[in-house]
Amino acid sequence: MITMQEEEITDYHQAAVRIMKDGPIMIKGTFAFKDSSGKITRGEQELYICRCGGSSTKPWCDNTHKKIGLAY
Amino acid sequence: MDKTDRKYTNGEITVFWQPKKCIHATTCYRELIEVFNPRKRPWVNMDGASTEEIIRVVKLCPTQALAFKYNKDIDGDKQAEINSGPKETDAEARIMEDGPLVLKGSFVIFDIDGKELKHFKMTSLCRCGASITLPFCDGTHRKIGYTGK
Repeated sequence: MITMQEEEITDYHQAAVRIMKDGPIMIKGTFAFKDSSGKITRGEQELYICRCGGSSTKPWCDNTHKKIGLAY
Repeated sequence: MDKTDRKYTNGEITVFWQPKKCIHATTCYRELIEVFNPRKRPWVNMDGASTEEIIRVVKLCPTQALAFKYNKDIDGDKQAEINSGPKETDAEARIMEDGPLVLKGSFVIFDIDGKELKHFKMTSLCRCGASITLPFCDGTHRKIGYTGK
Protein backbone atom coordinates (compact mmCIF):
# COMPACT_ATOMS: atom_id res chain seq x y z
CA MET A 1 0.00 0.00 0.00
CA ILE A 2 1.27 3.42 -0.92
CA THR A 3 0.80 6.24 1.52
CA MET A 4 1.78 9.79 0.80
CA GLN A 5 4.22 11.51 3.08
CA GLU A 6 2.56 13.92 5.47
CA GLU A 7 4.59 16.89 4.22
CA GLU A 8 3.60 15.97 0.71
CA ILE A 9 -0.11 15.99 1.56
CA THR A 10 0.17 19.21 3.54
CA ASP A 11 1.83 20.77 0.53
CA TYR A 12 -1.20 19.99 -1.58
CA HIS A 13 -3.69 21.63 0.72
CA GLN A 14 -4.07 25.17 1.84
CA ALA A 15 -4.48 24.25 5.51
CA ALA A 16 -3.54 21.32 7.71
CA VAL A 17 -5.08 20.35 11.04
CA ARG A 18 -3.29 18.21 13.55
CA ILE A 19 -4.83 16.63 16.63
CA MET A 20 -1.95 16.82 19.09
CA LYS A 21 -1.68 13.89 21.47
CA ASP A 22 -3.25 14.77 24.85
CA GLY A 23 -3.14 18.38 23.70
CA PRO A 24 -4.71 21.02 21.48
CA ILE A 25 -5.79 21.10 17.84
CA MET A 26 -3.21 22.81 15.69
CA ILE A 27 -4.45 24.52 12.52
CA LYS A 28 -1.79 25.78 10.19
CA GLY A 29 -1.95 27.27 6.72
CA THR A 30 -4.12 29.70 4.82
CA PHE A 31 -7.71 29.70 5.98
CA ALA A 32 -10.48 31.82 7.43
CA PHE A 33 -10.95 31.57 11.17
CA LYS A 34 -14.27 32.55 12.67
CA ASP A 35 -14.58 32.82 16.45
CA SER A 36 -17.83 32.31 18.37
CA SER A 37 -18.67 36.01 18.13
CA GLY A 38 -18.42 35.82 14.34
CA LYS A 39 -15.18 37.75 14.08
CA ILE A 40 -13.11 36.53 11.13
CA THR A 41 -9.36 36.46 10.63
CA ARG A 42 -7.99 35.48 7.23
CA GLY A 43 -4.68 34.59 5.67
CA GLU A 44 -1.79 32.51 6.81
CA GLN A 45 -2.01 31.61 10.49
CA GLU A 46 -1.08 28.97 13.04
CA LEU A 47 -3.57 28.42 15.85
CA TYR A 48 -3.75 26.12 18.86
CA ILE A 49 -7.33 25.37 19.90
CA CYS A 50 -8.09 24.01 23.38
CA ARG A 51 -9.36 20.44 23.29
CA CYS A 52 -9.51 19.61 27.02
CA GLY A 53 -12.25 22.10 27.86
CA GLY A 54 -10.25 23.60 30.72
CA SER A 55 -8.27 26.45 29.21
CA SER A 56 -8.80 29.87 30.72
CA THR A 57 -7.95 31.51 27.40
CA LYS A 58 -10.52 29.68 25.22
CA PRO A 59 -10.65 29.04 22.39
CA TRP A 60 -6.87 28.99 22.70
CA CYS A 61 -4.81 26.36 24.44
CA ASP A 62 -3.04 27.48 27.63
CA ASN A 63 -1.56 24.09 28.52
CA THR A 64 -4.24 23.32 31.12
CA HIS A 65 -4.63 19.89 29.44
CA LYS A 66 -1.49 18.81 31.29
CA LYS A 67 -3.18 19.54 34.64
CA ILE A 68 -6.47 17.99 33.62
CA GLY A 69 -4.83 14.94 32.09
CA LEU A 70 -6.61 14.91 28.73
CA ALA A 71 -6.05 11.43 27.34
CA TYR A 72 -6.39 11.39 23.58
CA MET B 1 -6.02 28.81 -11.73
CA ASP B 2 -4.21 27.97 -8.50
CA LYS B 3 -0.43 27.99 -8.46
CA THR B 4 -0.39 24.37 -7.31
CA ASP B 5 -2.43 23.21 -10.31
CA ARG B 6 -0.65 21.07 -12.88
CA LYS B 7 -1.36 19.62 -16.30
CA TYR B 8 0.10 16.63 -18.07
CA THR B 9 -0.27 15.60 -21.68
CA ASN B 10 0.50 12.65 -23.92
CA GLY B 11 -0.14 14.67 -27.07
CA GLU B 12 -3.66 13.34 -27.37
CA ILE B 13 -5.27 14.38 -24.10
CA THR B 14 -4.31 16.69 -21.25
CA VAL B 15 -4.93 15.67 -17.65
CA PHE B 16 -5.53 18.53 -15.24
CA TRP B 17 -4.57 18.15 -11.59
CA GLN B 18 -6.00 20.46 -8.94
CA PRO B 19 -4.42 19.25 -5.69
CA LYS B 20 -6.54 21.39 -3.42
CA LYS B 21 -9.60 19.46 -4.52
CA CYS B 22 -8.03 16.10 -3.72
CA ILE B 23 -9.63 14.24 -0.80
CA HIS B 24 -7.13 11.36 -1.02
CA ALA B 25 -9.71 8.79 -1.93
CA THR B 26 -6.71 6.92 -3.46
CA THR B 27 -8.84 5.75 -6.39
CA CYS B 28 -6.43 6.93 -9.08
CA TYR B 29 -3.34 5.16 -7.85
CA ARG B 30 -5.15 2.03 -6.76
CA GLU B 31 -6.58 1.77 -10.25
CA LEU B 32 -3.56 2.82 -12.28
CA ILE B 33 -0.26 3.09 -10.44
CA GLU B 34 1.60 3.09 -13.75
CA VAL B 35 0.21 6.55 -14.44
CA PHE B 36 -0.72 7.96 -11.02
CA ASN B 37 2.12 7.39 -8.60
CA PRO B 38 2.27 9.85 -5.68
CA ARG B 39 5.78 8.69 -4.82
CA LYS B 40 7.18 9.87 -8.15
CA ARG B 41 7.85 13.31 -9.55
CA PRO B 42 6.10 14.22 -11.68
CA TRP B 43 3.48 12.05 -10.05
CA VAL B 44 1.52 11.64 -13.31
CA ASN B 45 3.22 9.65 -16.07
CA MET B 46 1.17 10.03 -19.24
CA ASP B 47 3.17 7.29 -20.97
CA GLY B 48 2.20 4.72 -18.36
CA ALA B 49 -1.05 3.58 -19.99
CA SER B 50 -3.30 4.08 -22.99
CA THR B 51 -5.34 7.23 -23.40
CA GLU B 52 -8.55 5.22 -22.92
CA GLU B 53 -7.29 3.76 -19.66
CA ILE B 54 -6.21 7.16 -18.34
CA ILE B 55 -9.61 8.64 -19.19
CA ARG B 56 -11.35 5.76 -17.44
CA VAL B 57 -9.46 6.40 -14.20
CA VAL B 58 -9.70 10.21 -14.35
CA LYS B 59 -13.47 9.80 -14.56
CA LEU B 60 -13.40 7.74 -11.34
CA CYS B 61 -11.99 10.67 -9.36
CA PRO B 62 -14.66 11.48 -6.74
CA THR B 63 -13.84 15.20 -6.84
CA GLN B 64 -12.76 17.50 -9.66
CA ALA B 65 -9.12 17.09 -8.61
CA LEU B 66 -8.45 15.12 -11.79
CA ALA B 67 -10.00 16.17 -15.09
CA PHE B 68 -9.08 15.76 -18.73
CA LYS B 69 -9.65 17.25 -22.15
CA TYR B 70 -8.79 16.14 -25.67
CA ASN B 71 -5.96 18.32 -26.94
CA LYS B 72 -7.76 18.97 -30.22
CA ASP B 73 -10.50 20.67 -28.22
CA ILE B 74 -8.15 22.90 -26.31
CA ASP B 75 -7.18 26.41 -27.17
CA GLY B 76 -5.66 28.99 -24.87
CA ASP B 77 -8.90 30.53 -23.69
CA LYS B 78 -10.61 27.24 -23.16
CA GLN B 79 -7.77 25.87 -21.05
CA ALA B 80 -8.31 28.49 -18.39
CA GLU B 81 -11.99 27.65 -18.40
CA ILE B 82 -11.42 23.94 -17.98
CA ASN B 83 -9.02 24.51 -15.18
CA SER B 84 -11.27 26.73 -13.16
CA GLY B 85 -13.86 23.96 -12.72
CA PRO B 86 -16.39 24.26 -9.89
CA LYS B 87 -15.55 27.03 -7.48
CA GLU B 88 -13.12 26.01 -4.78
CA THR B 89 -14.55 26.26 -1.29
CA ASP B 90 -12.22 28.16 0.96
CA ALA B 91 -10.94 26.52 4.08
CA GLU B 92 -12.86 27.85 7.07
CA ALA B 93 -12.37 26.96 10.71
CA ARG B 94 -15.16 28.06 12.96
CA ILE B 95 -15.55 28.01 16.75
CA MET B 96 -19.13 27.16 17.69
CA GLU B 97 -20.23 28.87 20.87
CA ASP B 98 -20.11 26.31 23.72
CA GLY B 99 -19.55 23.67 21.05
CA PRO B 100 -17.06 22.10 18.66
CA LEU B 101 -14.54 23.39 16.17
CA VAL B 102 -16.07 23.04 12.73
CA LEU B 103 -13.80 22.66 9.71
CA LYS B 104 -15.21 23.37 6.27
CA GLY B 105 -13.52 23.07 2.93
CA SER B 106 -9.99 22.34 1.93
CA PHE B 107 -8.38 21.01 5.11
CA VAL B 108 -6.27 17.94 5.61
CA ILE B 109 -6.66 16.56 9.14
CA PHE B 110 -4.19 14.35 10.98
CA ASP B 111 -5.07 12.32 14.07
CA ILE B 112 -2.76 11.90 17.09
CA ASP B 113 -1.00 8.97 15.40
CA GLY B 114 -0.27 11.02 12.27
CA LYS B 115 -2.88 9.18 10.21
CA GLU B 116 -5.06 11.25 7.97
CA LEU B 117 -8.70 11.49 9.03
CA LYS B 118 -11.48 11.40 6.47
CA HIS B 119 -12.71 14.88 5.78
CA PHE B 120 -15.22 15.72 3.15
CA LYS B 121 -17.23 18.92 3.28
CA MET B 122 -17.37 19.38 7.03
CA THR B 123 -15.79 17.95 10.16
CA SER B 124 -16.63 18.78 13.80
CA LEU B 125 -13.85 18.35 16.35
CA CYS B 126 -14.50 18.10 20.10
CA ARG B 127 -13.45 21.07 22.23
CA CYS B 128 -14.95 19.99 25.57
CA GLY B 129 -12.75 16.92 26.00
CA ALA B 130 -15.64 14.61 26.90
CA SER B 131 -16.77 13.18 23.56
CA ILE B 132 -16.72 9.40 23.35
CA THR B 133 -15.85 9.61 19.68
CA LEU B 134 -12.69 11.71 20.07
CA PRO B 135 -11.31 13.56 18.26
CA PHE B 136 -14.78 14.19 16.83
CA CYS B 137 -17.67 15.99 18.51
CA ASP B 138 -20.60 13.78 19.55
CA GLY B 139 -22.74 16.39 21.27
CA THR B 140 -21.54 15.54 24.80
CA HIS B 141 -20.66 19.22 25.38
CA ARG B 142 -24.35 19.90 25.94
CA LYS B 143 -24.65 17.17 28.57
CA ILE B 144 -21.67 18.37 30.56
CA GLY B 145 -22.60 22.03 30.21
CA TYR B 146 -19.39 22.97 28.46
CA THR B 147 -18.87 26.65 28.07
CA GLY B 148 -16.56 28.15 25.49
CA LYS B 149 -16.06 31.27 27.55
